[in-house]
Amino acid sequence: MKARRTNQFLKAAAVLIFVTALVSPAHAYAGPGAGFAVLSSFWTLFIAFLYSLYAFLTWPFRHLFRVLRHRNAYGKAQIKRAVILGFDGMDPELADRFINRGTLPNLAKLRRDGTFRKLRTTYPPISPVAWSTFMTGVNPGKHNIYDFLARDVNTYLPFLSSAEIRGPKRTLKLGKYTLPLGKPRIKGMRHGTPFWHWLGKAGIFCSVIRVPVTFPPEKFEGVLLSGMCVPDLKGSQGTFCFCTTRGDQSKFREGGVRVPIERNGTAYHSYIPGPDDPLGRPSELRVHFEIRPDSTKQQAHIIVDSEKFTLNVGEYSPWIPVKFKVGLGLSAHGICRFYLKEISPEVEVYVTPVNIDPAKPDLPISHPVTYSVYLSKLFGPYATLGLAEDTWALNEQVLDDDAFLAQCYANHNDRERMLFDALEKTQQGLCACVFDTTDRVQHMFWRYLEDDHPAARNVPKDQRPRVIEDLYSRMDALIGRVMNQIDDHTLLLVVSDHGFKSFARCVNVNAWLHQNGYLALKANKTESGDWFEDVDWSRTRAYTMGLNGVYLNLKGREREGIVFPEESRAVKEELRSKLDGLTDSATGRTAITGVFDCDATYTGPYADNAPDLIIGYGNGYRASWDSVLGKVTTQIFEDNVKAWSGDHCVDPRLVPGVLFSNHKIGEEKPAIVDVAPTILKLFGLAIPSYIDGKPWTLAI
Amino acid sequence: MVVLLSVIIGLLMVVIFRYTSDQTAIRLAKDHLKAHLLAVRLFQDQLPVVLNSYARIIAGTGKYLRLAFKPLLFIILPLTLVIVELDRYLGATPLQTGQAFLVTAHAADADSLNNLSLQLPPQMSTTAPPVHIPADNEVVWRVVAATDGNYDIGIAAAGQTFSKRTVVSSRLARLSPVRLRGQFWKRIFISAEPALSDPGPVTSIALNYPSRNIYFAWMEWNWIWLFFVLSLAAGFLFKTILGIEI
Repeated sequence: MKARRTNQFLKAAAVLIFVTALVSPAHAYAGPGAGFAVLSSFWTLFIAFLYSLYAFLTWPFRHLFRVLRHRNAYGKAQIKRAVILGFDGMDPELADRFINRGTLPNLAKLRRDGTFRKLRTTYPPISPVAWSTFMTGVNPGKHNIYDFLARDVNTYLPFLSSAEIRGPKRTLKLGKYTLPLGKPRIKGMRHGTPFWHWLGKAGIFCSVIRVPVTFPPEKFEGVLLSGMCVPDLKGSQGTFCFCTTRGDQSKFREGGVRVPIERNGTAYHSYIPGPDDPLGRPSELRVHFEIRPDSTKQQAHIIVDSEKFTLNVGEYSPWIPVKFKVGLGLSAHGICRFYLKEISPEVEVYVTPVNIDPAKPDLPISHPVTYSVYLSKLFGPYATLGLAEDTWALNEQVLDDDAFLAQCYANHNDRERMLFDALEKTQQGLCACVFDTTDRVQHMFWRYLEDDHPAARNVPKDQRPRVIEDLYSRMDALIGRVMNQIDDHTLLLVVSDHGFKSFARCVNVNAWLHQNGYLALKANKTESGDWFEDVDWSRTRAYTMGLNGVYLNLKGREREGIVFPEESRAVKEELRSKLDGLTDSATGRTAITGVFDCDATYTGPYADNAPDLIIGYGNGYRASWDSVLGKVTTQIFEDNVKAWSGDHCVDPRLVPGVLFSNHKIGEEKPAIVDVAPTILKLFGLAIPSYIDGKPWTLAI
Repeated sequence: MVVLLSVIIGLLMVVIFRYTSDQTAIRLAKDHLKAHLLAVRLFQDQLPVVLNSYARIIAGTGKYLRLAFKPLLFIILPLTLVIVELDRYLGATPLQTGQAFLVTAHAADADSLNNLSLQLPPQMSTTAPPVHIPADNEVVWRVVAATDGNYDIGIAAAGQTFSKRTVVSSRLARLSPVRLRGQFWKRIFISAEPALSDPGPVTSIALNYPSRNIYFAWMEWNWIWLFFVLSLAAGFLFKTILGIEI
């Protein structure tokens, strides 16, 4: 077949050469199509040649310049390359269990020939906190990240702890329009210096992919693609869109909007909600699309702008570019995927959150900005949203298990391709890549690991899929492929920021605080809505918001604080003694196994921003969904029946992460805070004095 | 007229390119080329990466050209014929009354050279004796026309007369600068007249029509260059409007 094609190609080439040879040069022009092809090919080659020549000719001078600046990068290095594979939430107990079953041969090899340890995590054991500590080598008191959310002491309302996005500094008011005169301002809230900055400064090249809390990307001498905390085009942490002909008007509790589909003859019309109008008009931008169902084939044709594609029921589209037109020549570029859920009797289409288009990023998501473009051109569009796996859609039963997993592994495969490209490009230096799939899949499928999880009671035990074991096998295979690409002079670290435990029971600490007299509601109220809507702050001494933090309503700090600073220690001690060991009367189990005073836990310039107490939930327990959102209920305990059935926001001592290495590590109780100083030491760099971690001793 | 033709042909060719090419593959090939170009810039301190990217750029360019080859096959033949036909109208201007021009007859061999004679219609006359160039087997006459019209100039040799169409006009006209014997492909591209009889004593009769220059954008253009630039510009415009990958 191949020979036949080659033969046809040669024949065609001969015809073309014959025809072009006959005509005079003026007649040989073959139209704009071919003309463009030829011109742009030569242009590409010309540019490439200039770039290459520049790089080639200037390389000795740049090398000399580095040497003269005492940047003989690898002079004192013990290793030439470090590869860090981060698997968010990989649990040491599960890894050990599956290794012993023989399903993880590559991790077994690392355990046998190198190192396997539990990796102590941060207080609290939450991804943005732990990965910030991983990259900076300091405790949260020095990097300022304590949770996904932080609270505004003036309003008691939450804000994203990692980054702040505001409008442009200057605008021009023109009638009803407000024209932006500049780009949005993005301020990173994480402090501390990631260790790759020190490496880059010393001339050691680094490729950093999807490490959490790297948005906005900071300048350094290397390439970086931001991970967790990158917003979607709406500026949220992920808002899916569920378009349906069903008349249900109810709002989703988390992370999504319901949009009606309207019938117009044989076609159906709906829209994707986008960002707010940047020209100041009081409306959101929208992209409209058309659905033409074909029920005989169980498929639908979807038309969005100039894109037309056909989906079978239960199938995802590839990433589709969408352009939210603002007017005045402005537009916002995003990408999203469509999932055809149903076409008969009703029509239902799920649309992922609109991700920032990596090929045309409206906000910087990489350093340099061209790195995200490079990856997009090389591998095609990919998920850029920090929390790209849509756990909310599964929680809200918009997606089923299979659709969610398909989404997870599609994103994961994209990141694998990025990792292997980074490995190829980083033959010396640091290559660090974090995979989120482990975290998301364990959150959503832990219910099938347990016999009596409330979220899986309606699924017969013999029909429960082995999703998590399959997940670990896939990660093991990835590790095996990486191991095949590295030599003995490369250090491989497989790390996770925390482990995992069951989340079967919810604890509403605000309800407990209310029932025990620390939190007061307004007159005649027995509950409070979201974000302390009905809380009487003038009589409230403590409250909780987010996943693990408890705050005193401190006078002089909170706007309506009533606890005097001199009594804060006593109030904290009182709370600590009452909450520690809190028992769930329905199960008889301990719901809280530790309460940690932040004065004793954190040191550093940002320790004052920390919660006053960190709650360590026991195995099977976590802050309730309502409590996280600042809601006060009458019930302290309740079953967790959501698909989000595993968690790690518990007592940090229960959920250490993993540390695997291809080299022997001497440290018996390594911690995630030690990774940064260890890498600096191995590359022969001085460890800054403010770093809290201690470098490990490696047999290299 | 050239502008209009260029825009129409630019649009047509881009549309043909769209339907005869693998648009997805072309987009991918172009994206990969851009990625490797960016790699050269992003990883410029790593010489092996730069050289490797350069090699991939060369390979990618080859792939891109190969993908453009199939639509080229569909386009090149009709477009070439269109350009050839247009060149007959736009490549040269007809002869002007009172303006001397040269008639060149090429003999089959040196012996026939002295037997060639020119037969002109009454509206034309020679302005000088013929010049014989034995080294090239050619005889050249200098002729002038008195009035506009389409004429047949005759070259007599060995009892036969071979005609050559001549256009004297101030309007746009289809011109044939040469009449040939045999040479099928050359006749297709250059001549617009039937072949001279073969065998015969005359192999070609040529006229030196003045080449046509078009004034556009403050410049004198040969029509083919203007067509080249304008059709590319039109193609670029339409490919963007129609979302076509080239």
